[in-house]
Amino acid sequence: MPDGPKIRPSGDSAVLVEFENRIDPEVNRSVRSLALAIESEALPGIKEVLPAYRALMVVYDPLEIKYRPLEKKIYFWIKKAKNIDLPPGRFFRLPTVYGALHGPDLQRVAETTHLSPEKVIQMFSETRFMVYFIGFICGLAYLGGLPESLRVPRLATPRTLVPAGSVGLAGGQANAISTDQPSGFNYIGRTFVNLYTPHLFPPVPFLSGDEIQFIPVAEEEAMKAKGKLAMDFL
Amino acid sequence: MKAFEVSNPGIFTTIQDLGRPGYMKYGTPASGVADSFSAQVANLLVGNPPGAALLEITLFRLELLALNDLIIAVTGGNLSPNLNGKSLPMWQALALREGERVAFRARKEGFRAYLAIQGGFSGREFLGSRSVFVRGLMGNVLQTGEILEIANPVTQSIPFRKILQEMIPIFSNKNILRVILGPQDDRFTQKGMETFLSSAYRVNSQSDRMGYRLEGPTIEHLQGSDIISEPIARGAIQVPGDGLPILLLWDAQVSGGYTKIANVISADLDRVAQVMPGENLRFQSVTLEEAHRALREEKLRLERIHKMVAGENCSGNTDKI
Repeated sequence: MPDGPKIRPSGDSAVLVEFENRIDPEVNRSVRSLALAIESEALPGIKEVLPAYRALMVVYDPLEIKYRPLEKKIYFWIKKAKNIDLPPGRFFRLPTVYGALHGPDLQRVAETTHLSPEKVIQMFSETRFMVYFIGFICGLAYLGGLPESLRVPRLATPRTLVPAGSVGLAGGQANAISTDQPSGFNYIGRTFVNLYTPHLFPPVPFLSGDEIQFIPVAEEEAMKAKGKLAMDFL
Repeated sequence: MKAFEVSNPGIFTTIQDLGRPGYMKYGTPASGVADSFSAQVANLLVGNPPGAALLEITLFRLELLALNDLIIAVTGGNLSPNLNGKSLPMWQALALREGERVAFRARKEGFRAYLAIQGGFSGREFLGSRSVFVRGLMGNVLQTGEILEIANPVTQSIPFRKILQEMIPIFSNKNILRVILGPQDDRFTQKGMETFLSSAYRVNSQSDRMGYRLEGPTIEHLQGSDIISEPIARGAIQVPGDGLPILLLWDAQVSGGYTKIANVISADLDRVAQVMPGENLRFQSVTLEEAHRALREEKLRLERIHKMVAGENCSGNTDKI
């Protein structure tokens, strides 16, 4: 990287540290290493450290730490992060029923990609998706690693309600939606594993760096996961 | 201990406290009271810690029946609170008798009122907070017939507490919001930036605790509106492809993929809580130093009230209630 990461304010109580502007596992590793370097120091005044694809947000209390000293500290952590070994992610294998009622967009994804529905399922389900970060709402995991030949656009008109556990793709991304919500992704399957537990800590099973595979199973088998936590499928 | 029966839940009434900061990396917004100053003052008036759970009342129609003798305080926007049909004084502690009725009739000023009760409202905790976050399946809005309970019943009387008139915020003076530009201000044309900083934007009726959708002149992008999804700070103003800004607030998503032109400063977010859909907003760019100074002043303002309550000389009146 020629210039190194950029730091800029994001409002008066957060800064954004920007790495290379692309979705890439290596760039994301830099983001996560920096998150770990900052978190391990637990500096007073730092309230939250939020890794994303290629940017990291540090939420701070400006009455406890000023912007300039914080910026200086972050440059120091960026250097330090280069020597950090990230802990290995965990690997979740979630039972998933593909197609028909549970995957309303499978046929269209097959037509768009000129593949058979069986081939789409095979390619999708053999992928070990990486969790880049958790965000949006209700702990949605942003997944990467979708094979290039499964790249399809978002729906022109998003669905107003997609059931929790629906597994889908759009652009180069994939997700398993954590609660019933609107979405413009193409849904090709569904897992019945519980992906959001607002009454528990943590409310979501995944962390950035984890990997997920959506294992094809029969509907009956998939249903057995109803109410179970993702931790049961490590 | 039972506090109230909900005779009419109103438009959108929720239990809130100071929220659940620290869980954004689990995709969970902090939520919590929208007008933090008014809410904390209400709690201090009834002898609670400033962050006790209380009711956040939106617009009007809420009606409550007291099921016990209670001590309450109402602050925030003036939604014409009344007690048994007579005007209920705001910004002071009040004793209610069992069987009395509190109702919010019509909006006079502001948009959200707070009702604190001695002992705080109970309510299920999610991640250490009682703040209701409907979309995150953390609690729900008040329902007709629901019984509201007190979390920590206290039977002790407290001194009569009243906030001095000059310390009560004036909500008519709220429509110019100070902002820090960025983080994607370089993704807009100069004309786009000028449009944003010189125009009045009307708060759309689809606005809620997640965000305020704004209507007005469209803001011109330099090269499209999409970015690789990244975290969103509270008060961020994102501008999607249609050029119309969206101000992201207390229950907003914690990450997103649209350019953000600016961010409302923390000290002005309480005032946003009192802006009603249909009203206009304008934005004024300030420096980080200015924003931080304003935040320090906000903190001092609350500390003064804290001290007055601790010294029990809010009004010079030592009557007990």
